[in-house]
Amino acid sequence: MREERFESLRLELLQSGVSPVYVERTILELTEHHSDLELAALESGLGAEEAARTARATLGDERAIAAAILAHPELLTFSMRYPRVAYCLQSAAAIGALPGLPLMFCIEHRPELARWAAAVGVAATLMGGVLATLNWLIVVPF
Amino acid sequence: MAQTNPPFLTGVPELLVLRMLSGREMYGYEIVKAMRLVTAEAIGFGEGVIYPVLHSLEEGGALKARRKSVNGRERVYYAVTTKGKRRLEHLSDEWKRVSLGVNSALNGNGAGGDPEHA
Repeated sequence: MREERFESLRLELLQSGVSPVYVERTILELTEHHSDLELAALESGLGAEEAARTARATLGDERAIAAAILAHPELLTFSMRYPRVAYCLQSAAAIGALPGLPLMFCIEHRPELARWAAAVGVAATLMGGVLATLNWLIVVPF
Repeated sequence: MAQTNPPFLTGVPELLVLRMLSGREMYGYEIVKAMRLVTAEAIGFGEGVIYPVLHSLEEGGALKARRKSVNGRERVYYAVTTKGKRRLEHLSDEWKRVSLGVNSALNGNGAGGDPEHA
């Protein structure tokens, strides 16, 4: 797998809050670029090992690439760029979602709720029947 | 190890990338090759740092990107937008102004006169 070559860079970028879209694109482009450099080095007469080494050196150090990416805040995720705004929005969304949560719960657990309603209905009917019978026994004189 | 240039060249990669792409769409490796050719390798950098510049320009609306499969290779081609053309004009003017100033200083037209004969 060619892309394993930049796995540590991928992890570093994701952990630093770079947008996953740009992380994946960067890894793809670096992989292709490395292949082009390697091919050019092989065509110039270098051996496979030396060509790979030259390609890597020409592409540059992974730390330098990561630093260059992190120097562009516009490539970071929204929550990394504006942490306070993101925190406020998340809190507002959570508060806004609170009234809807019981409804969402009901929709998600429809079968259980139907069983519960049926059980309550049966229990209420039985209890009503028992109470009505007792009432009739007490009230109606023999 | 790839050569690097001092930090005062900030903005130059952006200018060069836009200039390279003003003629036709290219992918990263092509852009770097073109840059090395036209600058006679005067500007050294680790080639991998071209991608944050491209992505940043795309994010800013100066470039648009599209994926294309060529001979089994997945390429991301970049092209300049109208906004990018305006940005190129602005950066070119800025660079001409700065280089004129620096040349003027090097030719001894500064306030202190010729530094070699000060």
